[in-house]
Amino acid sequence: MARLTAATPAGAPPNGTPERAARILYVLLWGFARIFSVLALAVAWELLARSGTFTPFQLPALSAVLDRIWSDAVSGDLWINTALTLYRALVAFAICAVGGVIIGMAMSRNIIAHWFFDPIVSVGFPMPKIAFLPVVILWLGVYDVSKITIIVIDAIFPVIAATVIAIQGVERELIWSARNMGATNRELLYQVILPAASPQIMTGLQVALPLSLIVAVVAEMLMGGYGLGGAMMTASRFANSTSVFAGILEIAVVGYILVKAMSLIRRRLLIWHQEAHAPSTA
Amino acid sequence: MRQSLIRYLPLLLLAIAWEVVARLELVSTQALPPLSEVISAGISMVKDGELVSNGASSLYRAGAGLALAILVGSTLGIAMAWWKPVNVLLAPIVEIFYPLPKSALIPVTVIWLGFGDGSKILLIFLGCMLPVTIGAFNGARSSEQVLVWSARSMGASRLRMLWDVVVPSAMPELLNGVRTALALSFILLVSSELIVAQKGFGYLIGFLGANGNYDGMYAVVLVVAFLGFAADRIYLQITKRTLAWRD
Amino acid sequence: MAASAQIVVDRVNHLYRPPRGREVLALDQVSLEVGNREFVALLGPSGCGKSTLLYLIGGFLPVETGAILIDGQNVAGPGPDRGIVFQHFALFPWKTVRGNILYGLERQGMVKEEREKRAMDFIELVGLAGFEDSYPSQLSGGMKQRTAIARTLAFDPKILLMDEPFGALDAQTRGLMQSELLRIWQRTPKTVIFVTHDVQEAVYLAERVAVMSARPGRIKTIVDTKFDKNDPDIFKNKFFVEKVDEIWNLVKEEAIKAQGKRS
Repeated sequence: MARLTAATPAGAPPNGTPERAARILYVLLWGFARIFSVLALAVAWELLARSGTFTPFQLPALSAVLDRIWSDAVSGDLWINTALTLYRALVAFAICAVGGVIIGMAMSRNIIAHWFFDPIVSVGFPMPKIAFLPVVILWLGVYDVSKITIIVIDAIFPVIAATVIAIQGVERELIWSARNMGATNRELLYQVILPAASPQIMTGLQVALPLSLIVAVVAEMLMGGYGLGGAMMTASRFANSTSVFAGILEIAVVGYILVKAMSLIRRRLLIWHQEAHAPSTA
Repeated sequence: MRQSLIRYLPLLLLAIAWEVVARLELVSTQALPPLSEVISAGISMVKDGELVSNGASSLYRAGAGLALAILVGSTLGIAMAWWKPVNVLLAPIVEIFYPLPKSALIPVTVIWLGFGDGSKILLIFLGCMLPVTIGAFNGARSSEQVLVWSARSMGASRLRMLWDVVVPSAMPELLNGVRTALALSFILLVSSELIVAQKGFGYLIGFLGANGNYDGMYAVVLVVAFLGFAADRIYLQITKRTLAWRD
Repeated sequence: MAASAQIVVDRVNHLYRPPRGREVLALDQVSLEVGNREFVALLGPSGCGKSTLLYLIGGFLPVETGAILIDGQNVAGPGPDRGIVFQHFALFPWKTVRGNILYGLERQGMVKEEREKRAMDFIELVGLAGFEDSYPSQLSGGMKQRTAIARTLAFDPKILLMDEPFGALDAQTRGLMQSELLRIWQRTPKTVIFVTHDVQEAVYLAERVAVMSARPGRIKTIVDTKFDKNDPDIFKNKFFVEKVDEIWNLVKEEAIKAQGKRS
């Protein structure tokens, strides 16, 4: 059987040892630079706190804050609070992810769904939806349900918007190719349109996740009780500034971990998505 | 005009549905007072000044915080893009604070500045500075090399180049960052006022809710939500003109 | 040929309706007949509607005025009997080369072993052995187009619709791909409708070249270009050069008209 001329492989980046070493070194240096700046800030904090420019109340020493975090960890409070906040944020996020994509899909394919949801999304997006929290509490009480509800009200918007844009942006020729090969409407939707839209939908999810965390914390601050936000408010009421700062660090770390986890998941799922690979020559 | 009507019709229908459901008492009128009563409560609050005085307080706080954020943030962002040492110094700080939920700073600002205007202004300033700085930075960095070189070859000094080429090029992204900051300012304002305030929209909402005055509470919620939406739309209209040269 | 023509395009008009602005007549009373296993090129300046005609035959656009018949039946939508290859490949980026080729076979309901074997056969046919597990983002333009061609050939359509398939490739790759396509077609002949704006490409590949006018598109002339294409120096062959000249003069008028209308 005749063959086409053997392909020159697409210009793969030189992968010899010196080049790989250079790449690894580059990544390491950047990592060090980051750690270095975090450390620098930490040291600056500690020195500033000890210098006496501010009272220990206004700026507790980093060492005191870390100490507080440690004792909270040992006593178990840290884990309980973190787990509760995460539970609320993640449950809400899951609802946003599923619900948001479904609504986005409906809006792209159904004129009535589009007509109905479009003004709601368009008007709702720039609104400070947190203002609806007292209304939600009025309806649903002071338990987790209302916290999760307000998070969904806030975080579902970026998911819907991303899904709609993503689906509308699917190349016409991809759809035509699939239909050419005999795909039914159903197959077209799940086998072609959704995968093609997934990078952008994923981006919407990456916006929604930290947003879920923030709203969870704010809701907890308002409603009190357990959870990272609630604990911070309690500390604030007792004028316990060390614990307040501890809370900020804890939330920051949790937020950072969530964002990192999300971007790792993205990289795994979207391994086929341009960049990261050998540049093409054409 | 007609297209707008059709587009926003669902909202009108929802409003009507609200009124009907409430009037028919399908849900407890405690939880869902009729829209008409909400509106009249709102109007009477305007008349007796409660809404306006609290509103003025809120808008002052948000305005001050936002203005400061825009000023400082854009200056910093452009400075970071233009002078390497500034970037080296500040970039890590920006990176570290970027993922921090700004609302987490609410209790801290209270510790520092109490329950009044100061803590809210500080919170909004800190929170909104980030998107503005990042927008200014990205915008300034993207100013096309060729434009900069052209200016240079025409004899412009570094400072002139900055002003004549980099800043205008940075505008689109900067304005986008400000748009984000605008929305964020409302969010931080409302959040902090709901939790720790003695006047302002958020405080008023909480106060009315605690006193069982749900008509009033709904009214203020709607006013705040609408203001956030309107601010965004007005901002878009204004910036559309400034960016007219772009297209 | 009339009665036995495989593809019959009968006085087809096509109105292009942009989201904003007025409608434009893209095709005006276009008629064309293509016989079984014929290689026909659609040649014309940009905007003449040649791709539109291809999409109508493929069933991607609805026929509103006139008729298009495939083996006597009206076209009712896209289907695996008319395989299409696009200029920008339209590969599924989330699938590997193998995955892309398998897709059509899976839709046909082929048994697993059969389709795996068939996919590998076509991967080898287009010279991509070793790259079957690569993603499109890792491939060069030429390799992507070979994947696209393999994908379409694999489900064995009796008609092949090609929309400027080599337009996005660099000149050398294009030349290679043209001779490969001709060789594949000579071995397993199918009906091919090949859209291009490159006169030499059209004369080289096709048995007949349908020259289209500037918008609104009409078939201006059909030129016979059937001769022995296996001469290695064919592009310098006297007969070839004369044909190219003849057709180029026809196209030139239309290209100038098309430039004028650009507003």
